[in-house]
Amino acid sequence: MTQLAIEVGALAKVFGGLAAVDGVSLSVPAGERRVLIGPNGAGKTTLFHCITGTLKPTRGSVRLFGRDVTRDPEHRRTALGMGRTFQITNVFPDLTLLENMTLAIVGTDRRKWVMHRAVAAFADVRRQALEGLEAVGLAGRAAQPVKLVSYGERRQLELALALNTRPKVLFLDEPCAGLSPSERQRISKMIAGLPRDITLVMIEHDMDVALGLADRVTVLHQGRVILEGTPDEVRANAEVREVYFGHG
Amino acid sequence: MDRGRLALSLIALAAALALPFVAGPFWTGLATQMYIFGLLALSVDLLLGHAGLFSLTHASFFAVSAYTVAILQVRYAVPTTLAAPAGILAGTLLAAVFGISVRTRGVYFILITIALGYVVWGVAHRWSSFTGGDNGVTNVPFPAIGGVGITSHTQYYYLVLAVILLCALGYRVLIRSPFGLGLRGIKASETRMQSLGYRTSAHLYAAFVLSGALASLAGVLYVYYNRFVNPVASSFPISVEAALMAIVGGSGTIIGPFLGAGVVLGLRNWVSSFFEMHHAIMGAVFIATVLWAPDGLVGIAARLRARFSRPKEPGP
Repeated sequence: MTQLAIEVGALAKVFGGLAAVDGVSLSVPAGERRVLIGPNGAGKTTLFHCITGTLKPTRGSVRLFGRDVTRDPEHRRTALGMGRTFQITNVFPDLTLLENMTLAIVGTDRRKWVMHRAVAAFADVRRQALEGLEAVGLAGRAAQPVKLVSYGERRQLELALALNTRPKVLFLDEPCAGLSPSERQRISKMIAGLPRDITLVMIEHDMDVALGLADRVTVLHQGRVILEGTPDEVRANAEVREVYFGHG
Repeated sequence: MDRGRLALSLIALAAALALPFVAGPFWTGLATQMYIFGLLALSVDLLLGHAGLFSLTHASFFAVSAYTVAILQVRYAVPTTLAAPAGILAGTLLAAVFGISVRTRGVYFILITIALGYVVWGVAHRWSSFTGGDNGVTNVPFPAIGGVGITSHTQYYYLVLAVILLCALGYRVLIRSPFGLGLRGIKASETRMQSLGYRTSAHLYAAFVLSGALASLAGVLYVYYNRFVNPVASSFPISVEAALMAIVGGSGTIIGPFLGAGVVLGLRNWVSSFFEMHHAIMGAVFIATVLWAPDGLVGIAARLRARFSRPKEPGP
């Protein structure tokens, strides 16, 4: 039996009186590509926040490769191998793309504490940053501040940042949100091309992208899991068609 | 560094070195103050311009350091070689305690630093038996290392100049280091930094203590220049002025806080010679800066440079 990369146990997150996530249990084996789908307000992003540590769950537990990380702060989970992107692009607008990448690369090792040496003196960091940008097709933009590049390019950078924290499990929150069809294709190709030893958990609204990438799909509705299965099983399920596609 | 900036730096350095010879003691004294308060403003700006934290308690570290030096030198005849480091240590230790304020953000951070600043001012003001109350501690000697001592304000000017140049160089390395880049990352998006593996409070705490150490060094330079220290050094207006200097000069730069210190001190000297309510003028300068030149003097210079060096656009 393969090891479980992520194990979420009876997780709930309550805002005021509203249970955004209402007792979700989820197991993702190492190396699997899991896509979460569900209508707006299903609790997908909140679940993500709770798993990666951005939010504290009200109840329940999160395990990463068998280790209980429920009480670990976000930076600790990143150090243990979680990487994530944000649904609403969350990069550093005043910094150059190269500086953005540098932050991601040194963030998971001790070099982030170095005070007596200029960033420019770390040739290997620079090389890795340029390679990372190259991998998402942004090599030509390295010296530009993020605020001068297009939205699509920021989404690519968003992905590159997450990839360069050396994640074992990567959480992608709607990586294609707001992109044009051609950019969409480019990003989903990039995701499909990621090494298979990275476990992937992804929220995606675009059913073609979602069902094309997923090994298995989890369907959320009103904070609960209503179905888990292969893309074909999900496609065929009547309940999913009802809540997700809005027709029977 | 490009050639233009290098040339400009060398000219500025030459002017600074020549100043005591070409200008009288008044200007030399004003320049010394500008360096000292510029250093204080620079320390505030490590948090303000890089990490995005608006501290209003930096007069505390400045004053605790100055008081420590003054009390050790005057009452216990401790030599400069011990008193000066003790001053920096005392101010830095206080910063290590006040650093708990980085648990808060935004307006709460500002409020808590104001409150902490008032605690120090209250102690300086009320604990007369130790701090000398309103009179403070007077008759602080010029600094002396071994048998070699400073004997004039001109000599002291050069000492201060040397210290701030070293600080500026060190600061330059710091803000270009991975740590310094991390601070700018936190200023831009703390949530993203956490998801990249940064324990952001630890980073901000370290920056706060470093910044406090720099303010303490400014306090040492101040007390040997002023030759006395009283509760005014620890007061809220000093903290505000330090931030004001950084913003007027150009937050996020190294030269900016020093330029800002020059403007604020120069204006105050000039305006107060004929207008009693010179504080009102300072307020007006601050408002004008925030409204029309949020990047300060350095920002204005950059804008002018961009305007004049822009290539001619082809006609229609």
